[in-house]
Amino acid sequence: MAVGLLDAAPAQLFPEQVTNALGLPGVVGEFVGALIAAFLVGNVMLAFTGVAGPWAKRKITAAFTDRIAVDRIGPFGLLIIPAAAVQLLAKELIIPEGADRPSYDLAPLVLPASAMLGFAVIPMGQLGPVNLQLADPEVGFALTFAFASIASVSLVMAGYASNNKYSLLGGLRAVAQNLAYEIPLIVTAMSVVVFTGSLRTSEIVAAQQEALFTVAGVTIPSWFAIVNPFAFGLFLVANLAEIGRNPFDIPEAPTEIVAGYQTEYSSAYFVLFYLGEFLHIFLGGAILAMAFLGGASGPGPASIGFVWFVVKVWAFFLFTQWCRSALPRVRIDQLIEIGWKGMLVLSFANLILTAVLVGVIAS
Amino acid sequence: MSLQDPAGDLETADEASAVVERDPDELAELLGDAVIGREEHVNAPGFVIRSDAVQDVLSTLKEEAGYDHLSVVTAQEYENRYESIYHLKKYADPTQEVSVVVPADKQNPVSESAEPVFRTADWHEREAYDLVGIEYDDHPDLRRILLPETWQGHPLSMDYDKDQPQVVSLREHANPLQADHREDESDTMFINIGPHHPATHGVLHLKTTLDGEQVADVESDIGYLHRSEEQMAQSGTYRHQIMPYPDRWDYISAGLLNEYAYARAAEDLADIEVPEYAQIIRTMGAELCRIAAHMLAVATFALDINGDFTATFMYAINDREQAQSILEDLTGQRMMFNYFRLGGVVWDLPEPRAEFFEKTRDFLDQLPGSVEEYHDLLTANEILQMRTIDTGILPPEVAKNYGATGPVARGSGVDYDLRRDDPYGYYDELDWDVITEDGCDNYSRLLVRLQEVEESAKIIEQCVDLLEDWPEDDRTIQSNVPRTLKPEDDKEIYRAVEGAKGELGIYIRADGTDKPARFKIRSPCFSNLQTLPEMANGEYVPDMVAALGSLDIVLGEVDR
Amino acid sequence: MIGLLKSMATTMKHALDGTTFTVEYPDVAPDVSPRFRGVHKFSQERCIWCRQCENVCPNDTIQIVQDDQRNGEEYNLHIGQCIYCRLCEEVCPVDAILLTQNFEFTADTKDDFVYNKEQLKNVPWYKGIDPLNSRNPDRGAWVGEGDGEVDYQ
Repeated sequence: MAVGLLDAAPAQLFPEQVTNALGLPGVVGEFVGALIAAFLVGNVMLAFTGVAGPWAKRKITAAFTDRIAVDRIGPFGLLIIPAAAVQLLAKELIIPEGADRPSYDLAPLVLPASAMLGFAVIPMGQLGPVNLQLADPEVGFALTFAFASIASVSLVMAGYASNNKYSLLGGLRAVAQNLAYEIPLIVTAMSVVVFTGSLRTSEIVAAQQEALFTVAGVTIPSWFAIVNPFAFGLFLVANLAEIGRNPFDIPEAPTEIVAGYQTEYSSAYFVLFYLGEFLHIFLGGAILAMAFLGGASGPGPASIGFVWFVVKVWAFFLFTQWCRSALPRVRIDQLIEIGWKGMLVLSFANLILTAVLVGVIAS
Repeated sequence: MSLQDPAGDLETADEASAVVERDPDELAELLGDAVIGREEHVNAPGFVIRSDAVQDVLSTLKEEAGYDHLSVVTAQEYENRYESIYHLKKYADPTQEVSVVVPADKQNPVSESAEPVFRTADWHEREAYDLVGIEYDDHPDLRRILLPETWQGHPLSMDYDKDQPQVVSLREHANPLQADHREDESDTMFINIGPHHPATHGVLHLKTTLDGEQVADVESDIGYLHRSEEQMAQSGTYRHQIMPYPDRWDYISAGLLNEYAYARAAEDLADIEVPEYAQIIRTMGAELCRIAAHMLAVATFALDINGDFTATFMYAINDREQAQSILEDLTGQRMMFNYFRLGGVVWDLPEPRAEFFEKTRDFLDQLPGSVEEYHDLLTANEILQMRTIDTGILPPEVAKNYGATGPVARGSGVDYDLRRDDPYGYYDELDWDVITEDGCDNYSRLLVRLQEVEESAKIIEQCVDLLEDWPEDDRTIQSNVPRTLKPEDDKEIYRAVEGAKGELGIYIRADGTDKPARFKIRSPCFSNLQTLPEMANGEYVPDMVAALGSLDIVLGEVDR
Repeated sequence: MIGLLKSMATTMKHALDGTTFTVEYPDVAPDVSPRFRGVHKFSQERCIWCRQCENVCPNDTIQIVQDDQRNGEEYNLHIGQCIYCRLCEEVCPVDAILLTQNFEFTADTKDDFVYNKEQLKNVPWYKGIDPLNSRNPDRGAWVGEGDGEVDYQ
């Protein structure tokens, strides 16, 4: 990670902790420490997707549909994960005639990479003495959205380069959808910034730690989801659209345009897309947790914060799967309409309202 | 039965005049000198007409005598002539039928097309051309429909050489992978939806032209699942060998309904009585099949709208499973029942009877809860309403013109159900309602199916009550039917029942042997699918998919 | 909005009530109804070689070879081609051919599905169910089997 960009952060971040623990000197030491830290965090995220894709998703869907799902290999069927990995990677990589390379080959790399980058600035809380945050730049909050939106570039690349009409339709849908939802998403997120007065992710989390009020001995924290549930609702919906899950899974829409932008992808490339999509869900969950659910805060000591963070991210994953089993998909023109005519207006209203409220309280 | 008073049901004087029954002589007078002969079919009077007066005769019958439903076009070849039969009915009263027989020259079989009068004749005449070889003058698009375009000869004609190999090399087809760019200025894109696509419910191929995401034009290409079902029936004996095959037309658990169609046609042809007890069992089994078929329709419709992984699909499949399990107890098979026999059914209810009744009642008891769940999951859901209300519009007049029947017609407000209007089995003794919805859209068709499930449940419940109290010494399941059935030579019949998808009719011509000389299946899906362009043109791709899902086609029945 | 919540509540209800309908085949042998029609079982001892089953079969699945004295020599049945309509059992006057409940059969090639009379004799009952009683309880009376057990071996 670009440690050099960091200015004085309030607490010691994970890369510095690694550098200090290993006693590595100088700029090179910082660089190596940052690499090791990023590698560790990246692997944790990949492990999440590994569990989510072949196993958790099946189990969750099965629960919603009264079935059992994978349970033959290993305890709870968990060994399906390596089995699925071997199966997917062993398949033949088919590249369609007329595919536009290298765009066709780059697209599956861009999607997971963009999601992974997003995790760089997310404060994931503490696990024991370790503070799991890779970087904490002053504009971190904006940076996560910037990284996350690179994903739509990948979808367009894939859709365009596949030389397939279904892929093209999927790619175009992805652009239209992202344009329609990116703006409400960020405008809603800005209302959080109005509260905290900072784009630094660690400060956004810190601002949610104070007690809002106490009811019957239970302290309600000032999570922004509780302070401003309206913004939380807007953000949740926009987030679902941003990561392309039901009811907004329009770029894929299997019963309409086969599999959208990923129709022509197979084997390792498909795995990369698959990973990228799940990473994206987790990134969406992480942003949601950070901006509205108090980041890594929760009952118990701060040293188990990471556990709470993981719980919140997985809860969001569960929510996406729940929507997937229950909700119909909206049509592309309806989605655009909801985005531009509904969400955009509401998100600006929310921003102005928040600004006014904050102004009133401040004065 | 809840038949309303026929007179009270009629709203306008026009409709009243449409239902007035005219005797054959009056009709002959009306048709004038176009009529060159008369025939008597078991179900209807037949008028033999000149082959160049088809449009005149059909439009006279449609406009002036009220025969507004062209059920099917049967084509066949005799020793000395070709013949097309137009089976006409009235939507208001399907018991009033008339057959218009159009002979065509043996050497040069040409007759006038009925397409300008009835849109539905388009596909039916293409099929007749494809399989029998009659050419229709004035037909807008006379191409093969079931067989590949490069096929040589017409398989149901007499001079067809069955041993001739049909080599269709790839060269003779348009290469699907070839780069194809037609006009530089064109704003549209051609896309093949199917034959392998998640939403085509089988091997249907939709040649779609898109303008952006909107459907500019769609043409169905069918025939991928053509299995010569008609010819197979023509080579089987009436008594035993035909009955296993109807199960395989609409193979989505509607087996007993299909068997009913054959049983009804053949029994009327050969004057076979069916004991009352067997009729109740038949009715009950058929309605169980209807529930199973509608459950699948709802399930796949949910797939089309909600996307894969929707829970609704699994819940509906699970409910269908229970209906199938009861059917398995009754018939011994889950889908390919072969349970009906001419003159009755093959087995009485399974012993112990009490257990069977209990199982059926349990199913019926939990059914309202399940239907309520589907309403929660689907019809009450705002997103689904947004997607389906006012999309895939099929106005009633268009539906009639295309010969649409079943839930598709009833979702367009066409009050047409053969179980009530042309009663057979035990339906007219039971208390139930015909469901219609006036929305004409995808939502209405979904609503009709969900409500019909409840009506079917009512019918089954009454059947179970009747069967439970039926005196033990009067449980005749089959009447006495000769081992070899040979209906009289040249006896012709067209009989239809209300299948899961609509009017499923069978035309049989006997030739004095133990096998039919011509066996024609009127598939409801075939006619219903024809309406797709009407519903889809100008809509978005997702709405076309929804419209196709709401038609609930089974390619096994479309292609036969 | 209420509709959306109803949909989500319905699926969650199903997720939480924990009931599943999965049959864990092959660990659990599924129940089939007594009338279920599976692979055929043939008894040469009972067969009178009347060839009615061969005649009634709608798609020529049964092939019978007789010598010039009309004594049966071969009885072949292509279980891969059979449509399980049970007409052969229905027309058989002596219950020589029966459809068992057995639905489990595999082969490497299509030809392996052509069963000869020995293979047909050795088809096992599924879960030990003799289908004859359940299908047609009255049938024994007019077949006139006598008192003993029906012996298919």
